[in-house]
Amino acid sequence: MGFTQFLTDHMMQFFSFTGFANFTVGHLIMILIGLAFIYLAIAKEFEPMLLIPIGFGILVGNIPFASGYQIGIYENGSVLNYLYFGVTQGVYPPLIFLGIGAMTDFSALISNPKLILIGAAAQLGIFGAYCIALALGFSPSEAGAIGIIGGADGPTAIFLSSKLAPSLVGAIAISAYSYMALVPVIQPPIMKLLTTPKERLIRMKPPRAVTKTEKIIFAIAGMLLTTFLVPSGLPLLGMLFFGNLLRESGVTKRLADTAKGPMIDIVTILIGLTVGASTQATTFLTWKSVGIFVLGAFSFVIATTGGVMFVKIFNLFLKEGNKINPLIGNSGVSAVPDSARVSQVVGLQYDKTNHLLMHAMGPNVAGVIGSAVAAGILLSFLL
Amino acid sequence: MLKKLNTTIKTLVVMSVLLFAKESLQAQSTLDLRINEVLVQNDSSYVDDFGAHVSWIEIFNGAYNYINIGGCYLTNDLNNPKKYWIPKGDPRTKIASRYYVVFFADNKPARGVFHLNFDLKESNIIALFDSDGKTLIDKIDLPKDHKSDVTYGYFEDGAGKMGYLKKATPIANNNPEPKVSSGDLFKQFDPSGIGLTLIAMIVVFTALAVLYFIYKAIGKQFVKTTKPKAVSTTKEQADTVQPEAISGEVNAAIAMALYMYQNELHDEINPILTITKVSRTYSPWSSKIYGLRQMPR
Repeated sequence: MGFTQFLTDHMMQFFSFTGFANFTVGHLIMILIGLAFIYLAIAKEFEPMLLIPIGFGILVGNIPFASGYQIGIYENGSVLNYLYFGVTQGVYPPLIFLGIGAMTDFSALISNPKLILIGAAAQLGIFGAYCIALALGFSPSEAGAIGIIGGADGPTAIFLSSKLAPSLVGAIAISAYSYMALVPVIQPPIMKLLTTPKERLIRMKPPRAVTKTEKIIFAIAGMLLTTFLVPSGLPLLGMLFFGNLLRESGVTKRLADTAKGPMIDIVTILIGLTVGASTQATTFLTWKSVGIFVLGAFSFVIATTGGVMFVKIFNLFLKEGNKINPLIGNSGVSAVPDSARVSQVVGLQYDKTNHLLMHAMGPNVAGVIGSAVAAGILLSFLL
Repeated sequence: MLKKLNTTIKTLVVMSVLLFAKESLQAQSTLDLRINEVLVQNDSSYVDDFGAHVSWIEIFNGAYNYINIGGCYLTNDLNNPKKYWIPKGDPRTKIASRYYVVFFADNKPARGVFHLNFDLKESNIIALFDSDGKTLIDKIDLPKDHKSDVTYGYFEDGAGKMGYLKKATPIANNNPEPKVSSGDLFKQFDPSGIGLTLIAMIVVFTALAVLYFIYKAIGKQFVKTTKPKAVSTTKEQADTVQPEAISGEVNAAIAMALYMYQNELHDEINPILTITKVSRTYSPWSSKIYGLRQMPR
């Protein structure tokens, strides 16, 4: 073999290892989707904290490579595979819940506890999507994992799908986070459609000041009550209320600051990137993924409808002056604080002095608890 | 709003259309392969593509994506890990997710890719090595006594305990017994999912209603105990605005204003340069006197 032949062979071998040699249409499609996510995050500012890591993760996960070199996220022993362990084993979601607990002020909920029930009503989206998914031929476990998208809670969706349908984690997470980013677009038309002009003008009593002791009791009692009823929700609910106790106790400021600051940031980066990278064309480009995406939209619509309609029915039993503005019904989904912000923005469109943000935060944080409880129920019934 | 909705719908439609195009990929991780089931003494079991009853080895892909076994090595001698090189390029060596491929250990490699150059009666070890010929992917030690037409392997595909299986299951799940998960059981009684929906919604409502009642009671108690007692106030005291007197609406307006202010912030740098002296408290840790070593004279 001459030197030229030797060189040519090795150049050909090198080329076979490059991304160009292993490139397929599937890779191209996924890279375009990743770029679309990054565009939506930067240009439209749709949940940039989530869509940037996920979008870039999609790019990372869809770089073509020759197998067997421990590069890909599904290759045992690869760095990405180690990071993905946190997703498949449900490690990251409880850590994110710890941070959410540390950054959430439950005052609005404590001062007006009846708003908690809106957070329960909006979970209808989860079970509505479950029924539709069953009708479409998904297995009960898959249907449960898909339904949780309606909770509008990314970490809960990842946690539940990693237990019930590990093969669908990527598609479910992408769907959940995409629709969470689209909350300001999906919810307002439904809210307007289901409410009358008179209802949109309802003014709610300003929330009363809540004492520190009440907040501490809430964190402890909330954890005990919910987890005794649904122990399978313990990883999420336990961490949520633990984070909240760190915040409200007043004596663990450093721990609370870490939980709601650097720690949640690190975990968000890891979960976003690895979930994005898990959408390799082979596992993601399937009819099931399309079905999950469509069902995700339905679940958000049902959840919003459930919340708004519940407030309307609830109002029938409330005295004048105690009535709830149904525009905060959408906040029962746990997309904190996006859906509460939607309530505020839509409310201001009809009355420039009617600020609903504080009131909407109540059902919004109740939605976080509600979706974690719902996830626990699905785990107990379907696993 | 309508324009925004249109844009979103368009984005969703484009993404959905893109998702339709299904494409298969090159294999990903060979480390997820397992030697799943083995039959040494084949008298009347699975036949090969030549109609012969020979020993066979079933490999299982435990991953959730395709794996190409081409390039890996099968052997019955750990001192010779590269005994049988599985040729690359054959589409049949690409194993679908959670699927199987069978190799015939008949010592007749000329018969094709799936016919090995050794048989299983020579040794009690079967090992699968990665394409580098060094990384051991999986290995099984066969029992010394080979029962006729009885296979040895994992009781559940690719994981758990091994032993003689009740039934030979080439290219199929090692546990042919129908497995009914609690979800499947639920579906038998509640095919539409409405039953589960009702039960689950009742549980969610109960959990949050319990919280509601408890907090209502606690809240009432706190409002009672923290109610300010009627005391005579001077005019000056009455004029002073108490922080508690600020209503939630005002708080909401302040929060909204802060939010909007923060979102309108930009990171353009002011072109005017200013030099401000930064005063630092003295510390020997940052002192140059202690930090620099003296030069030798």
